[in-house]
Amino acid sequence: MFRRLGRFLYRHQGLEGILYVLPFLGLWGVFLAWPVGYGIYISLFDWNPLKGSRFVGLANYIELFHEERFWNAFANTFKFAGMTIPLIIGLGFVFALMIWGWGRSRRGTVLVQSILFFPYLLTVSIVAIIWKWLLDRDFGLIQHTLSRIFPSVPVFLTDPAWALPAIAFATAWWLAGYRMVVLQAGLEEIPRELFESAAIDGARSHHQFVHIILPLIKPSLLFTLVLTVISAFRTFGQVLMMTEGGPGRSSEVLALYLYWVGFDYFQVGKAAASGVVLLVLILILTLIGVRLLGLKSELQ
Amino acid sequence: MRRWWILAVLGVALLGLQVWAAEPIKLTFQTLFHEADAQAMEQIINMFNETHDDIQVELIQGGWTQYYAQFRLSVISGNPPQLGVCHTNKLVEMADYLTPLDASSVGNLLEMSDIDPDNYVAANWAAGELGGYHYLIPLDTHGWGLWYNKDLFAEVGLDPENPPQTLEEFIDACEKIKAAGYYAFHPAEDAAPRKLRRIWYVFFWQMGGELFDKDYAHATFNNPKGLLALQFLVDIFNDFGWNKPGTNGYSQFAAGELGMLVAGNWYYGTAVKSGINWGYAPMPNFFGTPYTWGNSHQLVIPLQPAGTSQQVYMAAMEVLKFISEHSHIWTMYGGHITAYKPEAENPELLASEYWTRSGQWLNEMAQEGLVHFPINHPKGSELEHAIQAQIELAVTGEISPQEALDRAEEECNRILAGG
Repeated sequence: MFRRLGRFLYRHQGLEGILYVLPFLGLWGVFLAWPVGYGIYISLFDWNPLKGSRFVGLANYIELFHEERFWNAFANTFKFAGMTIPLIIGLGFVFALMIWGWGRSRRGTVLVQSILFFPYLLTVSIVAIIWKWLLDRDFGLIQHTLSRIFPSVPVFLTDPAWALPAIAFATAWWLAGYRMVVLQAGLEEIPRELFESAAIDGARSHHQFVHIILPLIKPSLLFTLVLTVISAFRTFGQVLMMTEGGPGRSSEVLALYLYWVGFDYFQVGKAAASGVVLLVLILILTLIGVRLLGLKSELQ
Repeated sequence: MRRWWILAVLGVALLGLQVWAAEPIKLTFQTLFHEADAQAMEQIINMFNETHDDIQVELIQGGWTQYYAQFRLSVISGNPPQLGVCHTNKLVEMADYLTPLDASSVGNLLEMSDIDPDNYVAANWAAGELGGYHYLIPLDTHGWGLWYNKDLFAEVGLDPENPPQTLEEFIDACEKIKAAGYYAFHPAEDAAPRKLRRIWYVFFWQMGGELFDKDYAHATFNNPKGLLALQFLVDIFNDFGWNKPGTNGYSQFAAGELGMLVAGNWYYGTAVKSGINWGYAPMPNFFGTPYTWGNSHQLVIPLQPAGTSQQVYMAAMEVLKFISEHSHIWTMYGGHITAYKPEAENPELLASEYWTRSGQWLNEMAQEGLVHFPINHPKGSELEHAIQAQIELAVTGEISPQEALDRAEEECNRILAGG
């Protein structure tokens, strides 16, 4: 039996690979491909399983695109991503460079690294509660300190101009630690000899950064970029807990909009349509990121 | 020999049947309660489980934010709990997902389990009817009242035993507290958007305003009454200087920095723990009729899959009845006023600290019909979001009250028109 199977696989070598990936493919299909496919399917229906769902074609999408609130959430998502992606990657990169430059063997490095990584271990609700407290108008440490320094300080979470930046900053504080670890691993991969020979050739630190570090850390940067783009565009928990999308709708992002429509108004078809829009958006932006960094070959 | 074998097999089968028959009916009760009220419900259910060998209830409690979505999905997936909770104003949205108690697949459960409507507060009972069917068994009335700091009242020369109940008294109290350097008044708990909307409702309702016409065809709040109500709310946080936008009334009160706070009965535990010498009063009469915002938790049987046995339905009804008949515990520890009239006279409840310090006043408001329930419409959540987004912007000074009402009216009308 096994000998026959072995012979069969030997003759059909492509099948062996498929068998190896089959368990993963099964899980991927059940927990990812099927829900995504079903979400797309639902987005074409006025979904109500109890009374019977009705096929409406692209009506949910058309309704979305005619809704001012959707476009507001769409714009807020981009604003938030525009703030939070550079903040997360920038902070992560600075932390990584600091630790890498400091050297692993130096005393206290692990402690500093742990402190910087620690926020990443917290859940989103804890992060939101911490920052809500820090930014509380009466009792918040940050609000209090800033009001001692500056004559006029905005109330961050209830000022439409500041609500999104405040949430973006809290998000960066939360997520930068993990990016630091990834980027630090990338930095460790760069051979030290390159820096030594560059130094002999008279390259200064900023030259080394631009011509050695940046090109060689591209794969790690790509990974953090993709990860951060996805998390920025899917941001939900911290917005819900810190502002509920307010004041007004000044911090309502797409994922939160989707949540209200799907889970509060129970317009599941419309929520699924906005989910598909979000999915396509993330996909396009990730591909643009890959193309911009010139890392197509890395992925292949 | 063969006969012996048959007898043995039959004996074992009978024994198995007996064991199976003695198994208690297992029910799941999913609620949206948390903190104090979750603990109160747990007490009642534990008591039920201890006194009933034939029925055992598994209690699942937790977040209310996704409760109704989970509720609907559990019905859709054919695996609903046998018992649940529904706010009065959610009935229209949820009716398709509930068992009509007077017309279930096994008969009229209300009659079969001897539920007497006269035992419940009439308004709460009536709120459980829709389209000729009865879906809800009232559990409680909950709502907002006025919490005030007695020591602070004494310090600024106000009578700690006579909190303000008219607009004139209220303004006088606020001005005295403000002059002493404290926050005078916070009208909306932690000032979350929905809380700001609720207090605007209160001011508007007190003037006799109605948010929508009878058929829910149009919004009817963009008028002088609505504007005055919103202007008053905006001024509390701005021009009057009684508080500031973006502050948390819960924290201010617990820190002893706030004179008066409008908050729900669920604030009781925090108020006690805060160590503040506090008092409680009904919602003051600001503008005519002293309405307050409130709601009612009601007990339900989610829509069960076809073929659910009569035994299960009757067991669920027995639990609902037991909860009603022990709901003084719900009031004493959860803070919500029982809707089961005999329990509102429970001696243990009437002698409790909760009742004497605050519960009786909320009960009085409920008995007098002053607890006004929120919007009851299939698109209620969407309408309320449309309103609160603009109310919040007005309070923070981003737009004028008139602009807020214009925007809210436009969006509500669009939602009602199905756009």
